[in-house]
Amino acid sequence: MTRIDVIDNHGQFTHLEQRALRDMGVDVDIVDNETPPENIDADGLVLSGGPDIDRIGNCPDYLDLDIPVFGICLGMQIIATELNGDVGSGDYGGYADVTVEVTDDTDPLVGSLAPDTRVWASHADEVKDVPEGFERTAKSDVCGVEAMSNTARDLYGVQWHPEVAHTERGEEVFENFLTLCE
Amino acid sequence: MVDVDPFIDEKIEEISESVGDANAVIGLSGGVDSSTAAALAYEAIGDQLTAVYVDTGLMRKGETDQIRETFDYMDSLRIIDAKDRFLDALEGETDPEEKRHIIGEQFIREFEEVARDVDADYLVQGTIYPDRIESEGTIKSHHNVGGLPERIDFAGIVEPMRDLYKDEVREVARKLDLESIIAERMPFPGPGLAVRILGEVTEEKLDVAREANHVVEEELTEYEPWQALAAVIGKATGVKGDNRVHGWVVAVRSVESRDGMTARAQEIDWETLQRIQSRITGENETVSRVVYDVTHKPPATIEYE
Repeated sequence: MTRIDVIDNHGQFTHLEQRALRDMGVDVDIVDNETPPENIDADGLVLSGGPDIDRIGNCPDYLDLDIPVFGICLGMQIIATELNGDVGSGDYGGYADVTVEVTDDTDPLVGSLAPDTRVWASHADEVKDVPEGFERTAKSDVCGVEAMSNTARDLYGVQWHPEVAHTERGEEVFENFLTLCE
Repeated sequence: MVDVDPFIDEKIEEISESVGDANAVIGLSGGVDSSTAAALAYEAIGDQLTAVYVDTGLMRKGETDQIRETFDYMDSLRIIDAKDRFLDALEGETDPEEKRHIIGEQFIREFEEVARDVDADYLVQGTIYPDRIESEGTIKSHHNVGGLPERIDFAGIVEPMRDLYKDEVREVARKLDLESIIAERMPFPGPGLAVRILGEVTEEKLDVAREANHVVEEELTEYEPWQALAAVIGKATGVKGDNRVHGWVVAVRSVESRDGMTARAQEIDWETLQRIQSRITGENETVSRVVYDVTHKPPATIEYE
């Protein structure tokens, strides 16, 4: 059975990420973000959202574990910040209903959602520039980088919340990530 | 999704094992969570369980009578009329978190009296997953998380549904043959109508909130909302029968959701909204205005405080 750890960055939806994976039959645990990287034993990681980029524990170190990593909301911003991309506050906060346009239909994480998908979001900050080696894979009217991928390193992120019930094809995103971990 | 049959068997066994021959109490709010926890615990330990329902005076219209009827099968059910004590404790308080805190405290006092009286060693609670997340995240404090255990020296606390979401609790409730009115019942916050009244809780505002909530629930049944409510949010000018009224503003909210973690404001047809407006302003002399809340969660929460 594929094992995925959800790294808890104190987001209110962290438990829904666990639930989404649990409902797909994945062996999944919520793991404290202060866990030493050498103690992580999983086929893939989800970096949860959260309220504060200063409370991300050891998340930066997990990017070097050589397993697929999927950052959600703050989790994606952690990846961007750590790998020298740029994160800043958006002109327009993204809350609730957002229509996301998938800009790369071959992307293994979000490509299957092309051409567009209705999602639920909750963020004030956003990724302004993706790090070197990454492609922007989705955008919306309220946010320039709704998703990004580095397929060579298997690092992925979305700005919205695939784990909440109101995101239309959220499960599909987790299924795509699961395929990358298997 | 929870696998209901093994879950029920497992929890009944777990409760029996934890409580043994001792006595246990559970606070019954009338909501689906505590009702389901009570039913599970009653299956497990029968009359060793005392279910306590505190009528805080902050309940919905007819709620107390309905509880009395639904839980008639439990000989040990106790209904406590504590309205005056709650309203006294809340007098003058306007801060939302402080209001929740006062209600939690008073609830504990009412409860500990019964717990001592029946010599209960165990506390059963209907705490579910989102209660714990929201309390940990300090978005809102839930009165069934924390509080009681510090005040009363229980040998143990049993929370059979601590890992479930609301929709999963409903599955369990259905399986336990809880009356559909409980299983399908809309979530109602622990602090009751107090969080649907912005600012100080007074008898006058409570009456308005109670009647308005009744109208909203009745009129919106066909929309099958996950939660529909009315809140007294302030005062504004109106004119009724040639007289100026500086009356209450009632906000109506109706949302659909799976688990309460996110919610979508429902699209209600104009005629229904007008009927709600007409009934609330017509039946309540002191209401001058009715508004409909179109905000999703996020950025808003479902309840107002």
